Amino acid sequence: MSTTEIPGGTPGFESQELLAVLEPGQLTGAKRAQLPRRYLKGPELVVLWSLRLYLFFMIVVVIYQLFAGVD
Amino acid sequence: MGMLTGSGGLLITHEDIDRAHDRQRVLAARGKRGFSASARLLWLLIGPGVLVMLGENDGPSMLSYAATGATFGISFFLPFIVLTFVMAIVVQEMTVRLGAATHRGHAELIFERFGPFWGWFSVIDLGIGNFLTLITEFIAIRAGLGYFGVPPWVAVFTALAVLYLALLTHRYWTWERVTLAAAAFNLIFIPVAILARPHWGTVGHALATWSPLPGGLSKDSFLILLSNIGATVTPWMLFFQQSATVDKGLTKHDIRFGRLDTVLGAALASVAAVATVIAASPLFGHHMNAQNFQAAEFAQALEPLIGRVGASLFALGIVEAGIVAAITISTSSAYAFGEVTRKPHSLNLPLTQGRSFYAVLLLCAAGAAAIVLIPGLPLVHVVLVVNVVAVLAMPPALIFLFMLANDKEIMGELVSPRWANMLTGAIVILLITAGLLFGISVLAPNTFAFVLRFLGR
Repeated sequence: MSTTEIPGGTPGFESQELLAVLEPGQLTGAKRAQLPRRYLKGPELVVLWSLRLYLFFMIVVVIYQLFAGVD
Repeated sequence: MGMLTGSGGLLITHEDIDRAHDRQRVLAARGKRGFSASARLLWLLIGPGVLVMLGENDGPSMLSYAATGATFGISFFLPFIVLTFVMAIVVQEMTVRLGAATHRGHAELIFERFGPFWGWFSVIDLGIGNFLTLITEFIAIRAGLGYFGVPPWVAVFTALAVLYLALLTHRYWTWERVTLAAAAFNLIFIPVAILARPHWGTVGHALATWSPLPGGLSKDSFLILLSNIGATVTPWMLFFQQSATVDKGLTKHDIRFGRLDTVLGAALASVAAVATVIAASPLFGHHMNAQNFQAAEFAQALEPLIGRVGASLFALGIVEAGIVAAITISTSSAYAFGEVTRKPHSLNLPLTQGRSFYAVLLLCAAGAAAIVLIPGLPLVHVVLVVNVVAVLAMPPALIFLFMLANDKEIMGELVSPRWANMLTGAIVILLITAGLLFGISVLAPNTFAFVLRFLGR
């Protein structure tokens, strides 16, 4: 990707004034910083895995309905 | 324009400049008082909510509503459909808050907060669901235009051309307005409903009272129930609205308008959905089993009852529904791909800077379109199950949304209030229950009859 460096490392006054209407977090560059990781706790993992198993099981049911001739 | 380096050392991109122009207009409107300034502010800030709701009134959804009206009439389903849109408002409102508070897309937040393991699960669910749904959109477009004698390949290439044209401006604002204008045609189902000459007193009565499900509980009624739920709440909507909220540049100060946007979208979409049920209800009066009907078959079946004009409008409505959904769903896939691969992802990007974003967007649509053109594929099965699969995939997606919307570290004071959490919990339980009952109806179809006999009914 091409990068245009502005002399002095700052965009022109016009651009700066324009960019001031954005919140700092809205700038593409700011989004490159990752948010801190949040580690899931036991009950959350139980819920997530239960729902994952539910989804797998139900998808099998849908496939069964489609291909086993259950009308 | 390339990328500039800002005073804080941050890279300033073309995307930032375009978004700043949009925000400048919002701030100018916000600085004024009076009705016209408020109306202008609303005009500037609506978009993601209306698009997501009308986008979800897609090909399979409109066919599902039509099958509902034709198979079960209006008595039970009109209030049920309105209720599903209330559910959609509760769910989608959280994505507005998340997008405005964090300025990050849904896939991005799941990856960053919960790690790539759960992130990939979510994105794979999304990718598979989106691709299946995209196939159904092109089926709808092909079938709808087929009513007018348009060959399948012309129909499919026309839809791809519209999708491509909407992207040509490389500007979120223009893309949004073009897509909104196309989405407005979803209301074409209102004149079709009027042409069906319903008894409006009966329609009012159906909406005001909630009659029992005609024919009771059965596998067919569960399939339709799930299809109707899947016609209003699906995972792609969460990803799309949050990413579009970010791309549009909404901030915490805009959340009120974001909510209004969502409610307005739900109101418009529910009117179109209810109109579709009413439009197809004459088939119910003639005892036609329309559950496996495709768009053209619906239009043909309706023609003797509502006339050539009504049937043509119905077919056009299905085409519009397919095109708008193809645009929004492929965009949601492209946003999610960019977010997890950390590649540029914005409709404000010029082609040179957003190659991967536009490539994913167009390849998803083109891949689905190509599948529809393969002769002899049993595509009708895809149409029937796509909304059901969406409902089944929704609870895992909702749990991530719930956890993110309650994450004080990223949401601050904008965490979900208790009432929103209770409603979300109720929606998750309802979706899981509906899914499990559907599973029982498939694996043990006589269970409901046995239970009703046991209860002496």
